[in-house]
Amino acid sequence: MSGSSRSVAPSAGPVRSFDFPPVHADVSENGLRIRSVQVGRLPVVTAMVVLDAGEGGLDDSRAGLAVLTGDSLEGGTAKRSGVELAEALEAIGAGLSVGSGWDSTTVSLSCMADRLDDAMGLLAEVLIEPAFPDDEVERIRGQRLAAIRQREMDPAGIATTASRRLMYAEEVPYGRPLGGTVESVGPFSPGCASGFVEAQYRPKGSGIVVVGDVDAGQVRSLVETHFGAWAGEAELQPQIDAESRTRERGIVVIERADAVQSEIRIGHVGQARSTPHYFPLRVLNTVLGGAFTSRLNLNLREEHGFTYGVRSRFLVRRGAGPWCVSTAVGTDVTADAVREAVAEITTLVAKGPTEEEVGAARDYLAGAFPLQLETTGQIAARIAELLIYDLPDDYYGDYRDRIRGVTLEEAREAARQCIRPDEMTVVVGGHPEEIQAPLEKLGWGPVTVEAAP
Amino acid sequence: MLSIPIERFKLDNGLRVNLSHDDTTPVVSVNLWYGVGSRNERAGKTGFAHLFEHMMFQGSEHVPKNRHFELIERVGGSLNATTWFDRTNYFETVPSHHLGLALWLESDRMGWMLPAMTQEKLDNQRDVVMNEKLQRYDNQPYGDWDERIQAMVFPDSHPYHHTVIGSMADIEAATLDDVAEFFQTYYVPNNAVLTVCGDFSRDEALDLIERHFGEIAPGGEIPAIPGDPNLDPVIGETVHERVEAEVPLPRVLMACRVPTYTNEGFYAADVAGSVLGSGRASRLYRSLVRERRVAKGVTSFVFPLTSGAGMLLAWATGFPDGDPAELEAALVAEMEGLASVTDREIQRAVALTETALFRQIEQVGERADLVSMFDQLFDDPGRLNGEIERLRAVTPEDVSTFTERFLGADNRAVLTYVPETAPMPSVA
Repeated sequence: MSGSSRSVAPSAGPVRSFDFPPVHADVSENGLRIRSVQVGRLPVVTAMVVLDAGEGGLDDSRAGLAVLTGDSLEGGTAKRSGVELAEALEAIGAGLSVGSGWDSTTVSLSCMADRLDDAMGLLAEVLIEPAFPDDEVERIRGQRLAAIRQREMDPAGIATTASRRLMYAEEVPYGRPLGGTVESVGPFSPGCASGFVEAQYRPKGSGIVVVGDVDAGQVRSLVETHFGAWAGEAELQPQIDAESRTRERGIVVIERADAVQSEIRIGHVGQARSTPHYFPLRVLNTVLGGAFTSRLNLNLREEHGFTYGVRSRFLVRRGAGPWCVSTAVGTDVTADAVREAVAEITTLVAKGPTEEEVGAARDYLAGAFPLQLETTGQIAARIAELLIYDLPDDYYGDYRDRIRGVTLEEAREAARQCIRPDEMTVVVGGHPEEIQAPLEKLGWGPVTVEAAP
Repeated sequence: MLSIPIERFKLDNGLRVNLSHDDTTPVVSVNLWYGVGSRNERAGKTGFAHLFEHMMFQGSEHVPKNRHFELIERVGGSLNATTWFDRTNYFETVPSHHLGLALWLESDRMGWMLPAMTQEKLDNQRDVVMNEKLQRYDNQPYGDWDERIQAMVFPDSHPYHHTVIGSMADIEAATLDDVAEFFQTYYVPNNAVLTVCGDFSRDEALDLIERHFGEIAPGGEIPAIPGDPNLDPVIGETVHERVEAEVPLPRVLMACRVPTYTNEGFYAADVAGSVLGSGRASRLYRSLVRERRVAKGVTSFVFPLTSGAGMLLAWATGFPDGDPAELEAALVAEMEGLASVTDREIQRAVALTETALFRQIEQVGERADLVSMFDQLFDDPGRLNGEIERLRAVTPEDVSTFTERFLGADNRAVLTYVPETAPMPSVA
């Protein structure tokens, strides 16, 4: 091959179409929504139960209850001790995985397809007849308290926790750490767990997603067999009014005298999953800090070498979740990094992204879609999202078209509507003596110093 | 039994090529294993393999800086690279009609990287790597555990004695000449395995590979690994180290030398490691976490290394007022207790590994990486398909023999972290 032809990137071959695999929708006799997708490439299956049981529905005094209850499921069932449950699951190569979030709790497992019957039986047993023995609940509570302590000494955790607290008004759940606090976790008891299960772990309001080497008929029959005895309806979760703590900009230093780096968080209250700007915002955020070639990363990492990486995220939830830019930088360049990041954000909002940037971001997001749907677990998680946010079953059918349809003007409008540089709070976990004066010299906003937790 | 199809080829310049077809999803992965890692670094040059990995993203003769990322992200692809003791891997997963792009990018930096190197790029990436060390190691509780454990398990002269991230003084001293020498020595087709996995047409893929990689000249012979990779099978004693640090909870780590991945004895070590610490029915979880409640969490892992010895590592994290001596005694008891395991325990461990392996290879990128690994380490990419059977063949007697030989007091490194009592003086 000659040097001249090597100097041009090769052109693409013919595109192979990609459709989100067909989702089979059904409802069990007891009201449990069933969603299944048959994927036969390998003899594996992922089964995931989605419960309307998130932390967002809990007031501060019960903070951590959804997480603790989910953690306590491994304590055993009416039929099996915790040890016996673990042995039964692992004998068929299945591990129970509980994901507790702001909007839902998911309980899932993956296994070889020929063990699905046993696995579904165990999954149902865990959800319908959890036992919460005293000693196991006591143990889980102790582990959670230790995890809170670990988080309070983790530089990234300290900065993120402070950023959320300073972002949201008092009593907005999103302002606290997901797993609760020492105070709220303290009183957790078996009664708390079974009360929460009683209220929220119910077939009506929940869903089960099964993806893999199994057909819809088998799924339906396995669900009726194993989940048939489950009854009732989950209590409706309260709406979240995610108000901001402040509309003023400012910099807060969280004191860490032995820090060797500064953890930086910049942001304000963001958007709910239902935002009309959802697709434009995904494109916009990719330009700002959602890809390696985003403005923030090219500036802070590739141009200045301040950091190993930086990213921007809109965490969309039922209520307005946080928008947050996060990075860790050398102590001596902390103020420089804040200045550059704030400048990139401000410029993006004032002038908007370019046509070329929006095109590249659209291509990235649309092209990446099939890459994120290779595994049964990935497909199941996508479908769970539809159940949690009441999105239609054919939602992903035109997902890529909707990404490709985002216009420059829509992306600019999303920037103006969803990012307000004058209202950003900058949190810096770091060495106050070395970073406070340079941060004040920026003249961007008032600098206050807080002691670490 | 797993039956991943693999076709194997070799170019005239020595590049080993594997094709593994699966058109379930219209994506394809390109994966390169270079036979160079931290074990190839000489004294005074530690951290080079990893720094070099960063330099590989700084452009090549026909690809300007950042263009590699731009081109792959523009089509929705994902990409990265990692450095490890025995190898450095590079990978892209892209929508399948962009296979040519990924191959062109990888070939350009294999064949034409040096003309694009500048002092400015090196300075920038040295800063990035130093920040990576600060973020991922220095600013993390327990962040220096691997540096300490490796130094305890492997002697000064051994290539696994130092960490992959290396010494910041060595990184600071890196010159453009060092980068060039490293490239010319190790980044040659005869020291690499290329695997393409996913949705592609065989003839087209072979044609693209020949076109893009065929004209790259082979390099010389790969130099022997510096230092002395030969080791006694065991450490010879119990080595203790106690660290008072700004950590939230006490933690005890225990490591021992075990047979290398390329030694048949490895499989008993791997099964022993799983019985010990995989899942909630494992011995460590059951005993230390669930029943005795001396630990908040436990982990065990077997490093599949190939020079002299591998390593089995287990650790337990205690509670705030817990006694580390109790954690250590409990870890020792469970490790030594592996002299007696049941068939059921082995079956459970293998069942968990089987599910994990199948879930891993659902992604063509992961599958490609495993194929490259088996080619690079075993000269046998198809070995992937028999891996579960090799684990299944391990008997309780094998685990017992392994335990008596390798998990005793004469083969133990014990690293204990305790929360410091007074705040540490600030170090600027």
